[in-house]
Amino acid sequence: MAKYVLKRLLYLVFVFFIVSIIMFFIYKSVPGDPARMMIDSSKQSVDPVRYEQMYQAAREQLGLDKPLPVQYVSWITNMLKGDLGFSTQYRQPVSQIVGVPMGNTIMLNLVSMILVFLITIPLGIITAVKKNSPLDNTVQVGTVVGYSLPSFVIALLFIFLFANLMPIFPISGMNAPGMTGDGFDVFIDRMYHMALPCIVMTFASLGGITRYVRAAMIDVLRQDYIRTARAKGLREKVVIYSHAFRNALIPIVTVLTGWLVSVFGGSVVIETIFLWNGIGKILYDALMQRDFMVVLAMQMFYVIITLAGNLLMDLAYMLVDPRVKLGN
Amino acid sequence: MKKALALVLALVMVFVFAACNNTPSEESSKTTEHKVGGQVVVGSVTDLDDNMMDGWTNGAQNASIRNLIFGYSPITYTKEGVFKVDNQVAESVEGVDNEDGTKTFTVKLQKDLKWNDGTAITAKDYVFSVLLHTAPAYYALEAQDTMTYANCFTGYQDYFDGKTKTFSGVRLIDDYTFSVQIVAEELPFHFDIAYAAINPYPMAVIAPDCDITDDGNGATISDNFTTELLEKTINDTATGYRYQPKVTCGPYEFVSYDKTTKQAVLQINDQFKGTHDGVKPSIEKIVLKSVTDATQMDELKNGTVDLIAGVSGGTAINAGRDLCDENLAQYASYLRAGYGQITFACDFGPTQFTAVRQAIAYCLDRTEFAKQYSGGFAQVVNGEYGLSSMEYKERKDVIDSELNPYNKDLDKAKEVLIADGWTLNEKGGEFVEGTDKVRYKNVNGELMALEINWANTPNNPVSDLLNTMLPGEMEKVGMKLNPTTVEFGVLLNNMYRQGIDKPTYHMFNLATGFVPIPSYWYEMSTDEKYFGSYNQNYIKDEEIEKIALEMKKIPSDDKEAWLDKWVEYQKRYNELLPNIPLYSDQYHDFFSNKIKGYEPDGLWGWESAILYSWIEE
Repeated sequence: MAKYVLKRLLYLVFVFFIVSIIMFFIYKSVPGDPARMMIDSSKQSVDPVRYEQMYQAAREQLGLDKPLPVQYVSWITNMLKGDLGFSTQYRQPVSQIVGVPMGNTIMLNLVSMILVFLITIPLGIITAVKKNSPLDNTVQVGTVVGYSLPSFVIALLFIFLFANLMPIFPISGMNAPGMTGDGFDVFIDRMYHMALPCIVMTFASLGGITRYVRAAMIDVLRQDYIRTARAKGLREKVVIYSHAFRNALIPIVTVLTGWLVSVFGGSVVIETIFLWNGIGKILYDALMQRDFMVVLAMQMFYVIITLAGNLLMDLAYMLVDPRVKLGN
Repeated sequence: MKKALALVLALVMVFVFAACNNTPSEESSKTTEHKVGGQVVVGSVTDLDDNMMDGWTNGAQNASIRNLIFGYSPITYTKEGVFKVDNQVAESVEGVDNEDGTKTFTVKLQKDLKWNDGTAITAKDYVFSVLLHTAPAYYALEAQDTMTYANCFTGYQDYFDGKTKTFSGVRLIDDYTFSVQIVAEELPFHFDIAYAAINPYPMAVIAPDCDITDDGNGATISDNFTTELLEKTINDTATGYRYQPKVTCGPYEFVSYDKTTKQAVLQINDQFKGTHDGVKPSIEKIVLKSVTDATQMDELKNGTVDLIAGVSGGTAINAGRDLCDENLAQYASYLRAGYGQITFACDFGPTQFTAVRQAIAYCLDRTEFAKQYSGGFAQVVNGEYGLSSMEYKERKDVIDSELNPYNKDLDKAKEVLIADGWTLNEKGGEFVEGTDKVRYKNVNGELMALEINWANTPNNPVSDLLNTMLPGEMEKVGMKLNPTTVEFGVLLNNMYRQGIDKPTYHMFNLATGFVPIPSYWYEMSTDEKYFGSYNQNYIKDEEIEKIALEMKKIPSDDKEAWLDKWVEYQKRYNELLPNIPLYSDQYHDFFSNKIKGYEPDGLWGWESAILYSWIEE
């Protein structure tokens, strides 16, 4: 297995460099001039000669005065050294900008992910076992509705219901304005503000994963070895959870791994509606402002996370299904 | 050096003066009698970032904070639109014309000015402000040029280029007196007193152990004033002045900014002497937070926000007004100091001809456009002015009666086109209505089609509405509009003609904002160095340039001459139509019932109005 992992890691490095080249040149070909965007606010406030000096200085600072291959080498070298570049929008190093929003995004996504799996896996199993029962039919209808509604509709609906009509939760934000208190108070306040976006994210994800688990379980429950297990007189709980669920895990692991990767990816919609200072909005704003160093740094981070996630997924397959042999 | 900058000044002035220099109304001048206390949560759809010092951010929320925490400029901009000496700050500001054509403004400061930490503010802090904002060491921190008017001070270029540590045009005369000297090329200038509008910066905090001396040849900063020093005192993420401006002198002081939640907290500066008329703020604490368009009125209703400023658009305004009707909130409305407009390239293609620009104006029902766009909360203007401007208020009758409103009139559109020679078809024969689609004109021996290439941006309701209202009407008079949707950055590249070998688009739609000091003389300059920056229309009209240059030279105390020339300028502008003003929003500020005495205006933002307000729970 060590050989396999090593091979995959080498493959990861290779793919990383290929993707980095592709991404770099794609973003460089996007219309719009980052140097001009950086100094645009000065356009009407300085005389033209001074503006041109500022423009050339900005180009030099961003390395835009050099040929593209040189820019790429400079960028990738700096990135490998931990220098993610300079944000033209915030006029700060990228590493200074992305840390806090990334933490906020991970916190929100992680809590939501745990809730989603705590609810959907048991629900999927129950509906598969009680297929076509009133419970199953109700859940099916509910999940189709939840699956079909865009998350911004669910968000606005929940805000209306639980923040306006019944003011249980705050409408938006990450804390009470001007809030003071000790660490515990701040934590409680943060959790209180996180509740509604978390509920919305969870609700929006219930449909898909419940149906996924249900389908995987139904497939397994039709297998001969399940009939055999029942014929042997095993208790139904043992049949379902020891024999059926374990065999249904492979497709579920795929979904789970995908979700683990998405823990690091922000949701522009949720973060914007609930004013949750997350990485999704930072990325969106960076794209709009042609702040390519931020976008590239984050994209490369996601490339690494995705490739590592794939490796983890393969290893997890092996754990849940002894029939899977890696490297063969 | 040379070159001045109006918008610059203007922008700076807005930020710099608004906070601590104000003129109250009769009612609001009583606010000093109100008990100090309470908290106001200000919501904005614009996000805050962690840059609290000028030079690194342009966000509206950050600008508001700067307006509130920085102050003590010797020159104030009043609510009535006048620049005047703030006698709370300066005993006197004296302007002297020198024999070599330069002008020196000498500022004698009051001796009781203090930073919020209780230490004295001296002339050195004002001189330091100029030396800091123009120093190479400052720009090495990737700061923006925010004191651009300093390039009108003598000796600027040598100091800015780092050739010398002495700024000859800035003088430190004694502990409470300093002066600035304006280069002859920029004089006379109607707003010249604004050159003395300098905010102090705490030298002891930003440049500890440094010193400023003056041996008679200008202010000199010591050699230990370096980039390395500023990296530490300004750029340090934990303690730098850029992120933690703890020593300031405005009406409020900076308490905190939370990077996680993007909220800032300010509280009253006990050391603040008051605005130029002696008013001190009454609201103890201000919290700034973000809101969204979709839920901002719900936040106001629920009490998580107390003030939302500058709301525009029918949906949002009506939602806010509904709250007010239920007595759950109040509102103040005022006309925006700016408008949305169609911008023409006046140097090539059909739009180089005034008649074509006028014909396009005749094809659009601007009143209906403004109504549809804003839900009825916008007005139309006929020149380069806002309805809340001092000049318009003073000369309303003549402007309203003598400027062409370009009411929609397709016959008139045809008439001006025919008079201008757009009478041919694509083969050079006579244009026949109903048969030919597009008019042509013989321009220098070649046929030019009356086709207008229009660049607009996606997800833009103004573009959408124009696309609905304009092309069909233009077609009826023999014009063709070719819309192209491009990203905003691409639109700007095309408008500024950066990286564009040959201009393509004749027409753009954008918004513009007014500032206290206009830049007519640069906007209408025929000098090509201003093309694409100030003169975004690339218009070359000597008549309007002459009027604008004459305006610039009117002495600052000759208001009547300024107003007369301003009317002249507007008339010519209205005739040339380099831009077609489309709509000027009627902004609404919605605020909770506990806030009293709140009276904002177009150039008098919430951060100015809040100084005269108080809380009644």
